[in-house]
Amino acid sequence: MFEVTRRLLRYRGLLATLVVRELKARYRGSVLGFFWSLVNPLLMLAVYSFVFTVIFKPRFAGADLDPYPLFLMTGLFPWIWVSTSMLEGSQSLMANAGLIRKAVFPAEILPMIAVFANLVHFLLALPILAAGLAVGRYLGHPVAGWWSGALPVVVVLEFFAVGGITLALAALNVHFKDIRDILINVLSLLLYLTPILYPLQQLPRAGRWAVHWLNPFAPFATAFQEVVFHGDPLRLGLVAHMVGWAIVLWALGSWLFHRLSDNLVEAV
Amino acid sequence: MTAVIEVDGLTKLYRRSAPGYQLRTLKSALLERSLTAGLKPEDTIQAIEEVNFAVQEGEAFAVIGSNGSGKSTLLKILAGILKPTAGHVRIRGRVAALIELGAGFHPEISGRENVYINGAVLGLPRREVERRFDEIVEFSGLADFIDEPVKNYSSGMYVRLGFSVAIHTDPDILLVDEVLAVGDEAFAHKCVRKIEEFLAKGRTVLLVSHSLGLVEEFADRCLWLDRGRQRLLAEPRRVADAYRQAVAESEGHQHKEAKKQRQEQIESLDSAGEVVSDAVAEDQPVAEEPEEVLRWGSREAEIMSARMLDLLGNERYNFSTGDGVVFEIRARADRALEDFVFGVGLFTFRGVEVWGTNTHLAGMRPKTFSGDATVRLQCPELRLAPGEYLLDVAVHARDGYPYDYHRQILSFSLISSETGVGVYFPRHEWQSEGGVNWGEPVRQ
Repeated sequence: MFEVTRRLLRYRGLLATLVVRELKARYRGSVLGFFWSLVNPLLMLAVYSFVFTVIFKPRFAGADLDPYPLFLMTGLFPWIWVSTSMLEGSQSLMANAGLIRKAVFPAEILPMIAVFANLVHFLLALPILAAGLAVGRYLGHPVAGWWSGALPVVVVLEFFAVGGITLALAALNVHFKDIRDILINVLSLLLYLTPILYPLQQLPRAGRWAVHWLNPFAPFATAFQEVVFHGDPLRLGLVAHMVGWAIVLWALGSWLFHRLSDNLVEAV
Repeated sequence: MTAVIEVDGLTKLYRRSAPGYQLRTLKSALLERSLTAGLKPEDTIQAIEEVNFAVQEGEAFAVIGSNGSGKSTLLKILAGILKPTAGHVRIRGRVAALIELGAGFHPEISGRENVYINGAVLGLPRREVERRFDEIVEFSGLADFIDEPVKNYSSGMYVRLGFSVAIHTDPDILLVDEVLAVGDEAFAHKCVRKIEEFLAKGRTVLLVSHSLGLVEEFADRCLWLDRGRQRLLAEPRRVADAYRQAVAESEGHQHKEAKKQRQEQIESLDSAGEVVSDAVAEDQPVAEEPEEVLRWGSREAEIMSARMLDLLGNERYNFSTGDGVVFEIRARADRALEDFVFGVGLFTFRGVEVWGTNTHLAGMRPKTFSGDATVRLQCPELRLAPGEYLLDVAVHARDGYPYDYHRQILSFSLISSETGVGVYFPRHEWQSEGGVNWGEPVRQ
């Protein structure tokens, strides 16, 4: 666990360079560049908003979710970061097989590039969220507040959870190419099993317990809703919950990666 | 002198890839940190077996061997890319491995940015790359293209930039794989000069190569790997000669095997009778591919051996362009001959005839030849281009009737500090007058 962390710190310069390369390469050659990374989240947002406000007209008892598009945006943007990181990161070792087979290269960097690059996209989309919340407040909705400023805490904690999972997925994917297909399905399931489109309280009792305690992304999603959208204080219990997942997942992921790292080169 | 590379009982197993191994290899990778620990011996391939050697500081060490002999695996283990299955490797100092030049170049972004990234991959901090940036670009000769995306580079340009970055990372030990074979001739020479400079600074080089000429020119010692095993470790001349010998022998052996097979096929056809033999002959054409025949003749006179000497009479197979060379043929005629011609022919490895002559063309009139004889052909100056050459020798009658034609009886190599194209390499000098002016000579 410490070995992978230590190496990531040691090669932070390389990691930073490669994240920048990744971002540059993605926008090179496209006219609208960065704009495209916003299109997908905004499109998803528009579709879900339409479906859930116009078609289904949900009545969320005891929860004030107005305006729903803003509520959705608060949960969806981080989720896109998380899910894309895991999907891209899990393929990163195979995608860069040439690099790790032919050069002395710290392989743990590769999955983390995906996590960081998508984090940058997420952060760049934050002004839209902030503007939305400001407009919502201006129109008289009780959204956001000083506590919304605690967002970085949630992001940092979720970063370690996602990073750990991505490291593990990347190392396992070298042995099982099936990871990708499993992951795609699990991720589309998780979108509904995580409190993103709805608040946790809306789940029936048994489901609520399971999602809250077994889904590692649940406390983070809840924190985004409570703190960023509602502007409620960050509950200590929730912080402990997030810290717990962050430590466990990072430790497990980096341990697994380190354990498998000796043989990555031959297995890819 | 201290050993900067120590290799001790090094063994490397690869797994054979087969479906259904994923779980087992994952289990052994997790529990024993080895892909092969859980596999039976028949499921693994031994790439390197019990190899031991040490390379001293400032030494140029070469590794030769045929394809699949484990050279690249050895290099990757030394570079730290692969982990040994058993044994130890100790390395003192910073290593740069020129295994795949430009590994990690990103096609979409510019050469300039790629230099920084490649430098970082090779362990050079950004400000160090900045400091050496001009040097790197100048050496690569790509100043005009440095801001182009590398996807627009030719493969030669790719290699040039890759080599340039790698050599400028200022390592203590340089591991070089075959890469010098890519890129154009001029740049290959530039690389060789750079590596020589590197050696002159007291640094260490380990070179894996197919080019025996390069190995003989460069290396202080040479290791010959044969199917993963250490066959010979000695001075390069000796190893290269032994290697050439073995290659020639195995070719000769294959030739003999093929001949024997043909013989057996013919015999079995004979014994099986006419009707059957026709059927068999139709099913299996006997002459599958025309074998290259390397020796023929009536053997009324027989070539016993051929060797090459320098003008002082020492046996040698590598020379510099312009050196004096003696071709020596030992031959025997059991029955006295009155009509005989001795000839030699030089060929490139591609089979281009470079030069040939014989005693008849030289106007020598044969009188008698019986018993053992030694014939020498002396060239005070062999002005051929650098490269590897093959020698044919022959004894035949004046009308061409062959006593003993021996093709490719030996090979030798020529090196030179200058370059040129073609096979002929005369003494030369450029001169000019009038409205042409030259600057400082280009440093190569």
